[in-house]
Amino acid sequence: MTDAGAASGVAIPVRRRSGGGSRRWLLIACMLGPLLGFMAVFYATPFVYLAQESFQSWDGEDEPKAEPTFDYYKKTFQSSRTSRALTRTFRISLVSTLIALVICYPVALLLIRAGPRLRSGMLLVIFISLAASLIVRNYGWLVVLADQGPLNALLVGLGFTGRGLRMVYSEGATIVALVHYVMPFMILPIYGSLLRIPDSYSEASVSLGAGPWTTLRKVVFPLSMPGVFGGTILSFAICMSAFVTPLMLGSPATAMMSQVAAEQLLVQQNFPWGSAIVTILTVATFAVVFAYGWIVRRVMKADV
Amino acid sequence: MAVLVFPVVLTILVSFNGSQFIEFPPKSFSMDWYVNIAKINKIGEATLLSLLVASLTGILTVLMAIPAALAIARHGFPAKAMIVAFLLSPVAVPMIAIGIAILQFFVWTGLPFNWITLLVGHVVLTSAYPVRTIVASLTLSNPSLEEAAASLGANRWTVFRTVTLPQITPGLISGFLFAFLISFDNYPISIFLVRAGVTTMPIEVFNYISQQLDPTPAAFSTIYIVIVSAIIVLVERRFGVISLSVRG
Repeated sequence: MTDAGAASGVAIPVRRRSGGGSRRWLLIACMLGPLLGFMAVFYATPFVYLAQESFQSWDGEDEPKAEPTFDYYKKTFQSSRTSRALTRTFRISLVSTLIALVICYPVALLLIRAGPRLRSGMLLVIFISLAASLIVRNYGWLVVLADQGPLNALLVGLGFTGRGLRMVYSEGATIVALVHYVMPFMILPIYGSLLRIPDSYSEASVSLGAGPWTTLRKVVFPLSMPGVFGGTILSFAICMSAFVTPLMLGSPATAMMSQVAAEQLLVQQNFPWGSAIVTILTVATFAVVFAYGWIVRRVMKADV
Repeated sequence: MAVLVFPVVLTILVSFNGSQFIEFPPKSFSMDWYVNIAKINKIGEATLLSLLVASLTGILTVLMAIPAALAIARHGFPAKAMIVAFLLSPVAVPMIAIGIAILQFFVWTGLPFNWITLLVGHVVLTSAYPVRTIVASLTLSNPSLEEAAASLGANRWTVFRTVTLPQITPGLISGFLFAFLISFDNYPISIFLVRAGVTTMPIEVFNYISQQLDPTPAAFSTIYIVIVSAIIVLVERRFGVISLSVRG
């Protein structure tokens, strides 16, 4: 793959980025081609088919009727099980994201203030928990919250309660495990945006007489909004699509949307309804993400 | 930080406890649960398949991501913002939606279900990560070095191999690591794409946990955490991937 520059010696300096011509387009197409092609075939096309499938009607027969219907969309909102799962999914995701933000912001601040050794140690722990299997981490919470588990032993030992409380297989247990799951996704973006704030800004604030709390509230926090935005968006999207966590730590009575969709597909074999539920879930997640971005940009005037 | 470490430490403690049930504080010491890991249904072949799929997922995503990331970081092209958003979007789409969509696509097109189906699903799920990390390391690297090499007469391939590649190695390694670990641990996509005879490690461990209450999964978890920690510490020492991921 020699080009003109190389063939004619050293005379022609880099033309490849500024120069135009069909060769350049061909090159870019070849570079993007493999990944873009793969994703178009195995990612975009399946989703188009999924959306189409959700408008099919299905009465247990093999042959679906010809006309598209909104039946399964209506059914999702009318059925008490699926509509409650939808509100529950929103509630759990919102609560988990807020708790994660409250817990993680101080951790990110600590990361900034910590010395190099403590900082790299903390980052290592965060990365290891990011990489440790989700099933493994959820199992850890099953252990912690078990009837005879350490948290119950502590509560009984301190005399808060006579006998162990039932904590697993509930909405609360699901939220605890989800918060734990999204913590790295919350800490890292906030830490990243705190890194970009020059030290001189808070020094200036302090030298002008602001206390540490005022400096945090008026200077540091607003400047870290891009990280807060990125972290909360990512955490919310992860919670909305949670599947393994509510399956392991919740009960059928606390099912989230992913579980209800999987049930329709794997157990009831009702493909159109299952497709409609995941389509609603995907659209709802993106709608919240866009609305949130709009609010943060327009109303709070933050540059994210 | 305590919240992050708490369940891990307790899982490790429980894995050495002698009792049949999860109990605290541990009353006796035993290694029985480590021996018992062998009793998890098909754990050997499931782990081997998971390793195979995760390795190939890592290699394929990185190989496709390198040229794509170069195009994104170094060139302008029409609809660039849209294409980049499309390539990064699988991160925000519910995993089971990806699983279900690919399942129906395979049913619809009549493609066979085997371990390659799993591989396709995992590549779709993870390819955004290497794209991100490689673009991040390309923006940190210095394009004028490439220009210098080119003006000294090196052809594109030589420039890439001798100048660009060494600069983006941390991005390649962390992209591979992300893709590998996410694939290795995946349940929500795999569960839709496996058929009779094909099974992965997370599926079998999950099945075991939902059927048995003994601490065997704790022993398994301990081994998993030790291996993953070792890999991350080693890779971080050698390539410094953590700082790259924070910036990227």
